[in-house]
Amino acid sequence: MEAYIRGVGIISPQKTFDTEEFLPEVVEYSNNSLRCIEPSYKDFLNPTLARRMGRVIKMGIAASSACFKDSGIAMPDAIMTGTALGCLEDTEKFLLAIIENDEQFLTPTSFVQSTHNTVSAQIALQLKCMNYNFTYVHKGYSFESSVLDGLMTIAEGNGKNILVGGHDEMTDKYYRVCDRVNYWKKEMTPTLQLINSKTDGSVAGEGAAFFMLSAEASDKDYAKLRSLKFIYKPESQQEIEGRIGEMLAEKGLTANDIDLVIYGINGDARYDGIYNQLKDSYFKNSTAAYFKHLCGEYQTSGSFAMWLAARILKSQSIPPSVLIGENKHASIKNVLIYNCFMGTDHAAFLLSQC
Amino acid sequence: MNELIDKLKGEIIEQLNLEDVKKEDIDNDAPLFGEGLGLDSIDALELIVLLEKNYGIKVANPADGKKIFQSIRTMAQYIQDNKK
Repeated sequence: MEAYIRGVGIISPQKTFDTEEFLPEVVEYSNNSLRCIEPSYKDFLNPTLARRMGRVIKMGIAASSACFKDSGIAMPDAIMTGTALGCLEDTEKFLLAIIENDEQFLTPTSFVQSTHNTVSAQIALQLKCMNYNFTYVHKGYSFESSVLDGLMTIAEGNGKNILVGGHDEMTDKYYRVCDRVNYWKKEMTPTLQLINSKTDGSVAGEGAAFFMLSAEASDKDYAKLRSLKFIYKPESQQEIEGRIGEMLAEKGLTANDIDLVIYGINGDARYDGIYNQLKDSYFKNSTAAYFKHLCGEYQTSGSFAMWLAARILKSQSIPPSVLIGENKHASIKNVLIYNCFMGTDHAAFLLSQC
Repeated sequence: MNELIDKLKGEIIEQLNLEDVKKEDIDNDAPLFGEGLGLDSIDALELIVLLEKNYGIKVANPADGKKIFQSIRTMAQYIQDNKK
């Protein structure tokens, strides 16, 4: 199962939306919660519709619009999105109204917009796209599941151009809830210091990123997505390395063929050892990069990593802000992303230069 | 009546999240639906809930809705006539 990444569109806590520039500067956050830099939505949405939409819906529509524009494909054969939290802001509004009004006076808007599949549905409505439309809600595997479905759809010949994406939003309430179960650091940690942190927890993030996966190559492609593996609750480092080895072997590659590994290092002392062991032993000959100091930790952060890998492969340049150590390779042919959410949902993506 | 109209405009802007609309932009006699503010059926439900929640008024007969929600003025008049 393989596909070409024909177009991308992303809204993140960095200046990534609708720009040719590739992370020219880093926006640093010091409050343990990274929020997206959002565009003016008036260019993408009818104001009458926009007034009912929560932030993540608008982010999803704008990011997918950028992806359509970038890919030159106006109508996908299928839309698959992944989200762990869905439209959290509207869900909170709706639930709060139930409590505050003692289950009376419930208005329809926040309920209608609170379902997890609202973003993919709104994208389809905007396009008048009646094709296959699916939303995956699988915590740290939400985005990965949408990509897997996209790859399978292409492999089975059920579509040539598939929109896949991941989107999740952070709210103040959700931040506080997760803080109680130790998702976030207790001390304020500036994002550029995250990699040096030795304490538990990470910093919260959010984002919306979309990709047009195509069955056929074109001169516009960013990269070739060659493989995606889920490694759920690995019991040991040996299991992780073994599964990665199998993944590479299926493509006729070894660890030495991987020019760049993008790690999901998030400053959490409980899990960063997994990445550091890979970096220092299994992939010791590969250039290393990380990304969660740019987007924060969230369940669909793999979408930010895939965007980063695609841009690196197309531009053949690694932004200094993501490098760990020195760049060991003059050209970048193969990139592996290794990411996990809270130590349970591990995933590896393999991308290659077109 | 003018005070009620002004208050109602503020409540509608907030309830329907009419971000770019100011109170002075809303004509007291302009249609709320279709033209004018361009509201739709979901907004109608929001307005029904607004009447019940803020003024204790239940619109018992849905057929009355068309008349009640004709404009800001007709809405205010209905509130004035039926407020408990």
